[in-house]
Amino acid sequence: MNDTPETPQSRPAPLTGPAVDALLRDTTPWLSCEDCFERMDAYAESVVRGTHPPDEAMTTHLSACPACEEEAHSLIELLKAE
Amino acid sequence: MPAVKRDEARRGTPPPARLDADPPADGRADEPADWVEALRGDGPDQLAALRRLHALMLRACGHQVWRMRAALPDASPDAVELLVNQAADEAMTALLGKLHTFEGRSRFTTWAFKFAILQAATEVRRLQWQHREVELRDLDEPSASAADDPQLRAEGTALADAVVDAMRRVLTPYQRRIAVALLVDTVPIDVLAERLGTSRGALYKTLHDTRVRLRAELTAQGFLPVDRGQPTRPPMAPDPDDSSTPAGGNR
Repeated sequence: MNDTPETPQSRPAPLTGPAVDALLRDTTPWLSCEDCFERMDAYAESVVRGTHPPDEAMTTHLSACPACEEEAHSLIELLKAE
Repeated sequence: MPAVKRDEARRGTPPPARLDADPPADGRADEPADWVEALRGDGPDQLAALRRLHALMLRACGHQVWRMRAALPDASPDAVELLVNQAADEAMTALLGKLHTFEGRSRFTTWAFKFAILQAATEVRRLQWQHREVELRDLDEPSASAADDPQLRAEGTALADAVVDAMRRVLTPYQRRIAVALLVDTVPIDVLAERLGTSRGALYKTLHDTRVRLRAELTAQGFLPVDRGQPTRPPMAPDPDDSSTPAGGNR
């Protein structure tokens, strides 16, 4: 038995609430980052026009991939500024 | 790439919409009627199209860098200008290599903007992490950066404990390390992809498979509601990117 007191530095950090939420996020239906990029221009235009049809795969991917979400949101903002 | 004036780039911190030093009055007056044809052609029309496209790329890159300026280690005007110009050049090269794939599902300029935004965002994230070590640690290995943060040492909940237990039992070591890096240590996915020599899409697929496996396990334990379309306890199929074995090999 190891009776050495466990220091905070030797203890793994537990999962935080946001990490648990991220780990358990439902990312179905599946869409790859590459396919998200392929759709991003048409998606952004439809969002700006307010006519975007439901695209569950795209919406799900953007909610789960911070990098793609940032880029899609940025594109939408750029189009709105035109 | 033809020589293109660099003085169209933003200097300093004006809003991104004002990047063009001398934009056309209506914003589109000097755009080719058919961008693809103009860019594929030759002579003065092609050169004009390339210059106009480069100005658009500068604008989009400036917009993206402006959005992410807080993440830049050096946000001085000169550094920003260099970054915007380099990203615009790289994005333009990437776009021209994909020109044959443009299908007209959006305006050409929107299609072009996304290349610039991707390139600029990726470059900002790379710069943000260029001097930071990326830990590919397993769940039980403490994070050097997180160990002393009391906010990250929050009390475990029953759900958090169940997730940790499920990660140990149903994930491969590679899946755990990728999940910890991306979702616990919040390493940007493109930064991690570059460090591991893989792609953003491959890492996201690994993460997707990880989530499917964890959700199935937590659903079986009653922590999550049953989803009709959700598989139950998927088999331990090997991950295509996983060079380790579920028995304990580490990547």
